[in-house]
Amino acid sequence: MDMIVNPVLLFLALAIGGVGVAVSVPRRKFQASLIGGIIAATGVGLLIVALGGASLARGEGLPSPAFHILAIIALGSCLQVITHRRPVYAALYFILSILSTAGLYLLLAAEFMAFALIIIYAGAILITYLFVIMLASQSRVESEEEGMAEYDAVGRGPITATIASFILLATLTVMLFSGINDISAPTEAEVARVQVEVLDQLPGKVEKVLHREDLISLNETVVGLDERGLSAIVESPDGGQRQVVLPPDLSATNTEGLAFNLLGQYPGTIEIAGVILLMAMLGAVVLARKFAQIDEEAKAAAAAALHESRPISGGHANG
Amino acid sequence: MSMMPALTTLLAAADGPFIAGGTAPAWVGLMAGLPLLGAALCVVCACLNVKSKAPGYLTVGLLAGGFVTALAAFMGGSDSDSYGVATIFRWIHASIGAGSEASITANIGYYMDGLSMLWMLFVTGLATVIGLYSTEYVEHDKGLGYCRFFFAFNLFVFSMSSLVMADNLLLLFLGWEGVGLCSYLLIGYFYKKPEAVAAAKKAFIMNRIGDLGLLMAIGATFVVFGTIEFRPLFEFIRDGVDANGNAIAHTWVVVVIPLLFTAGAFGKSAQIFLYTWLPDAMEGPTPVSALIHAATMVTAGVYLVARMYPLYAADEAHIALSVIAWSGAITAFWAAAIAFAQYDIKRIMGYSTISQLGYMFAGLGVMTTTGAVFHVLTHAFFKATLFLCCGAVMHGFAGQLDMRKLSGVGSIAGFKITAIAMLIGCLNLAGLAGTAGYFSKDMILAEAFVTPGEVIFLPWAVGLLMLLTAFMTAYYTFRVFFRVFVGPVKYEAGDDHHGDAEEEHAAEDAHGHGHDDHGFHPHAPRFAMNAAIALLAIGSIAAIPLYFINAEDHGWAGSMVHESTAAFAAPEVHHDDHGEHGEPHAMLSADVVPVSLGAAPEGDGEAAHHGDNLGLGLDPHKAMYVVSGIIGVFGIGLAAFFHGPKGLGGLFIGNRTDTGSPRMDAVARYFGPLPRLAERKFMIDELYDTIIVKPLLVFSHIFHAFDKLVIDGLVDLFGSLPRWLGSLLRPSQDGMLHGYATGMVAGSAVLLLLVVLVALL
Amino acid sequence: MVDLLLAQSAFPEAMSQGVLAHYLFVSAAMFTLGLVGFLTRRNLIIMFLCTEMMFQAAGLALVAFSRYHLNYDGQTFVIFVLTVAAAEAALALALVVFLFRKRDSLSAEAWSELKG
Repeated sequence: MDMIVNPVLLFLALAIGGVGVAVSVPRRKFQASLIGGIIAATGVGLLIVALGGASLARGEGLPSPAFHILAIIALGSCLQVITHRRPVYAALYFILSILSTAGLYLLLAAEFMAFALIIIYAGAILITYLFVIMLASQSRVESEEEGMAEYDAVGRGPITATIASFILLATLTVMLFSGINDISAPTEAEVARVQVEVLDQLPGKVEKVLHREDLISLNETVVGLDERGLSAIVESPDGGQRQVVLPPDLSATNTEGLAFNLLGQYPGTIEIAGVILLMAMLGAVVLARKFAQIDEEAKAAAAAALHESRPISGGHANG
Repeated sequence: MSMMPALTTLLAAADGPFIAGGTAPAWVGLMAGLPLLGAALCVVCACLNVKSKAPGYLTVGLLAGGFVTALAAFMGGSDSDSYGVATIFRWIHASIGAGSEASITANIGYYMDGLSMLWMLFVTGLATVIGLYSTEYVEHDKGLGYCRFFFAFNLFVFSMSSLVMADNLLLLFLGWEGVGLCSYLLIGYFYKKPEAVAAAKKAFIMNRIGDLGLLMAIGATFVVFGTIEFRPLFEFIRDGVDANGNAIAHTWVVVVIPLLFTAGAFGKSAQIFLYTWLPDAMEGPTPVSALIHAATMVTAGVYLVARMYPLYAADEAHIALSVIAWSGAITAFWAAAIAFAQYDIKRIMGYSTISQLGYMFAGLGVMTTTGAVFHVLTHAFFKATLFLCCGAVMHGFAGQLDMRKLSGVGSIAGFKITAIAMLIGCLNLAGLAGTAGYFSKDMILAEAFVTPGEVIFLPWAVGLLMLLTAFMTAYYTFRVFFRVFVGPVKYEAGDDHHGDAEEEHAAEDAHGHGHDDHGFHPHAPRFAMNAAIALLAIGSIAAIPLYFINAEDHGWAGSMVHESTAAFAAPEVHHDDHGEHGEPHAMLSADVVPVSLGAAPEGDGEAAHHGDNLGLGLDPHKAMYVVSGIIGVFGIGLAAFFHGPKGLGGLFIGNRTDTGSPRMDAVARYFGPLPRLAERKFMIDELYDTIIVKPLLVFSHIFHAFDKLVIDGLVDLFGSLPRWLGSLLRPSQDGMLHGYATGMVAGSAVLLLLVVLVALL
Repeated sequence: MVDLLLAQSAFPEAMSQGVLAHYLFVSAAMFTLGLVGFLTRRNLIIMFLCTEMMFQAAGLALVAFSRYHLNYDGQTFVIFVLTVAAAEAALALALVVFLFRKRDSLSAEAWSELKG
C-alpha cells in the first residue's frame, strides 16, 4: 500500500507526539506541560514537514503559510485545553482553538462556516461553558494546592489513555495517508457544472454584474445560463433573446452555494435540527432547575399561621 | 395327554429338540398379568392407607387366578398344538444397519412348551398357597408394610412368570433382574434389622456377578446367532449352524456361551463360589424364603440351563456340562457339610436348599434334565413345606430358631399339623424310600452312574459324592426334626416380641399349656398358615404318583420335559453304542432314531444300553432304589441315635432328655476343629472378606483419594479458573467513566487496526 | 486577512491531495487530543469540552473534504454537527449542574454507581 509519508517516519512522529501529550498531562506533584508541549510539537512538526516534503515531491505544492500558523495555534491551544489545570483557562484556550479553526475554514473557502463557528461556538457554547465553570467552581472540597480542586489538578491514567488514543490516531492516519490517493479530485467540467448550477439559480446576481459591467441594457433581463456556463441568456422587453459572455470574475460565493445546498437539499433535516434544539432547551431547563422541596404540611402550617395572625370574621362565624 | 406326548417325543428324537411351533393363546399372558395387576392394586391399597388384610387376600385371589390360567393352559397345551409363542405386543424391533440379520427383535411374548408350563404350574400354585400363608404371617405389620410385602410378592410372581415364559432372552433377562429385585426387596423387608439390610445387599450384589455372565451370554448369543428369540435360536442350534451358516460344533460358541449362561445360573441358584448370599437371605420373612429362596427363584438357574440345553448338548466334549455336574455335586456336599453343624433351623433349610440345588445342577450335568426338573418340582413342594413349618415355629416362638432352645414343639397344642407336615417334608428331603424326594433324587443319582465317562468328567465320582451327600442330608434333616419337634417340651422365646398380636393370641389360646417361660405363650398357627402348610404337605405326597404317570418318559415331569428344548437328555444313552464322537448331540442323526424307536419305551432302552458303572450287575435305577433307600434310613437312624429323645415311640435308641444333645457333643470331640469350622460355615464369608472385599476396600480408598485429589482438584481448578479470571477482570468494572471510555477507545482502536492490517496484508 | 478573505471568496480552484492530507492530519490530531483529554481529565466540564473538540475536529475534516470535492454537502453537515453540539452542550451542562448539586463536586469519579 502506498502511503504519502514513510510509515516509519509516521509512527516515529506519532510516538513522539504521544510521549509529549502523555508528559504534559497534569500530575499530582508536577506539571511538564511546557516540555510535553515541545515534544508534542516536535512530533507534529516532524510529520507536517514530512507531509510537506511528500506534497512537494508529488508536485502538488504546499498549503499556504497561513495554514501552518493556524494549524500550530489550533493544535497548541487544544493541547492547552486538555492539560491546563484551571478550567477557565482551558475554556479560553478552547476559544483560541476555535478561532484558529475558523481561520482554517477560511483557507478552505468556507467563510460562512468560519463565521458560524465563531458565533456559535466561541460566542454561545463556550460562553455557556464559562458560566457553568464559574458557577460550579466554588467547590468546598478543594486541595490545598493553589485552591485548586483535586480532580482538576491530577489527570487520570495518562499513559493508558495516550496509548489507546494514539494507536487510534496511528490507524486513522495510516488509513488517511494510504487512502488519500484513491480520492479522486473533481474534473474541470465538474467544477464548471457546480458553478453553473449555483449561478443558474442566481439570475439576479448575474444581471446585476452584467449591468455593472455595462454588458446589457437596463431593460434587459437574464433568464438563465447556457449549458457550459460561459454565457448568460438575456431577454429584451420585446421578447428577443441573445447570449452575453460572462465576465471572468463572476462566480457564486460559498455562502450562496451553501444556502442553496442547505435549503434546497435538506429542508426536513433543518426541521429536525430545530426540534432537537427545542428538546435540548427543554431538557436543559428541566435538568438544571433547582428543585424546590415543597412540603405540603409546612405550607399548610404557614397558611394556618397566616390565618391566625389575620383572623377572618367568616372563620369565627363558621366556628 | 393322549397320543401327543409320545409322538412328540419321537419327533423330538428325530428332529432334535422339541421347538414349540404353534401359536399359544394370548390369555397365557394372564399368568404374568394378574400378579402385575395385584402389584398395582397393592400400590393403590398403600395409597388408600388400607389397614386390613385386603391386599393379602387380593393377592391370593389373583395368584389363584394365575394358577387356574396355568392349569387351563396345561389342559389345552398338552392335547393340542397350542404349545407355541403368544406375542402380547411388539416391544423391540430395531435394525442395525442393513440386512435382515442385522436386526434385533424382542417382543413381550410368551414361549409355551412343556418346560415353561411345568414351571408356571408350580410357581403359580406355590405362590398362591404361600401367599395364603403370608396373609397370616405378616399380619403384625398391617398397613403400609403389609402392602409393601404383597406388592413385592406380586411383582416377584410377575417377574418369575416373565422369566419362565419369555420367548426371548431379553425378556428372560428382565424377569431375571425383576426376581432379583424382588428378592432384594423381600429379604430387606425387615429393614430396621441391620442383618436383613446387609443380607439384602449381599444377595443383590452376589447376584450381579452371575448376572454379568448372563448378560454376556445374551450378547454373545446375539452376536453368533443374530437373534435372541428362542424359536429361531433353537432352530439354528438344531441345525448346528450359526447365523452365517457356519457349523458351531467344535467352536468356542458351544463352550463359552454355555459357560456364561452357567455363570448366570450359578449366581441365581447359589451354586459354588456364589452361594453365600442364600443362607443370609434367610433374614427375610419365612414365606419369602419358602417361595423365593427355596421353591422358585433359586430354581431359575436350573430353568435357564434346561432352557438352553440344546446349546450345552451341542458341545461334544461337554465341557460346560462337566463343570455343571461337578460344581453341583461339590456344592451339594459342601452345603450339606455346613448344614451339619448349624443350629439355626432356617439356615439349615437354607443350606439344604443350596445342597439340593447342587443336586439339580448335577442332574443337568449328567444329562438327566428330567431328573433335575422332577427334583425341582418335588423339592419345591417339600422345601416350601419345611420352610413354612420353620416359619410357623418362628412365628409361634417370637422368632426363635435356635434348635438348642427348642424341643418337643410337636407336642404343643396347635402345632400338630406343623409337626406332621414337617415330618413329611423331612422324609422327602432325607429321601426315605417311597417319597417323592426319594424318586427324584434317585433319578439323578442313577443317571450319574450310567452316564458314560466320555460324556462328562468322572460321572461316577459325581454320583458317589452325591450319595455321600444324600446320607448327610438324611442326617441333618432329622437332626432338626428330632431336636425341635419331638422330645420333652422345652423352649425359650426369641427376642422378636410383637406385643399386640401376641396378647391377642394369648387370649385366644385360653387353654394354654404347662410351660410358662417368662410368661410367654407360643401362639400356634391359625387357619391360613395351617391350610397352606397342609396343602403343601399334601402336594409333597401328591408328587409321588407323578413319577409313575407316563413311566416311559420317566414320569410326568419327563413327559413335560420331552415337549421342550430340554429333551436332549434322552439321546445320550446311545452314545456309547455308536461312538461317533464327531457328531454333536444337537444333531442327533437318523441312525439313532431306529434304535430309539425300536427300544421304546425309553426307560428300557436306557437300561439296556447303560454301562454297568456300579458294578452291581443290576439295572442302575433299581440298584439305586436300594442303595439310596438304605442310605436314607441309615442317616435317619443316625440322627435318631444322636438327637432322638428318650423313649420316643418305638425308637428307643435316643437318649435326649433336654434341649441339648449329649451323645453328639461326645462324638464331636473326636472330629477336632471340624465341627467348629462347619458351624462357622468354613469361614467362607471371612475368606471372601479377606481376599475380595478387603482388597477392594483398599482399592476404593486409593481411588477415593485419587478422585478427591486429582479429579476433584481438576474440577475445582476449572471451577476456580473463572473466579480467578473474574477477580482479574473485576477491577475494570469499577464504575468509573474513564475506565469504560478507555476500554471503548482501545476496542475501536484494535478494530480499526484489524481493518487496516487486513487491508494491508 | 482581508485580502485573504477576498482571494478566497471567489469560486475556488481544485485542491491537491497533498494539501488535503495536511488538513486531514490536523483534524485527526485534534480529534486525538480531544480523546486524550476526555480520557485523562476528571473534571466533567473539561471532559465535555473535549467532546466539543472532537466535534470540531470532525467538522474540520468535513469542511476539508467539502473543499476538495467542491461539494457543499460537507459544510451543510457541519451545520448540523454544530446544531447537535449546541444541543449536547446545553444538555450536558444542565446535567453537570444537576450532578454538581448532588455531590458538590465536578469530578467524574464521584459517580461510580455502575461498579460491578
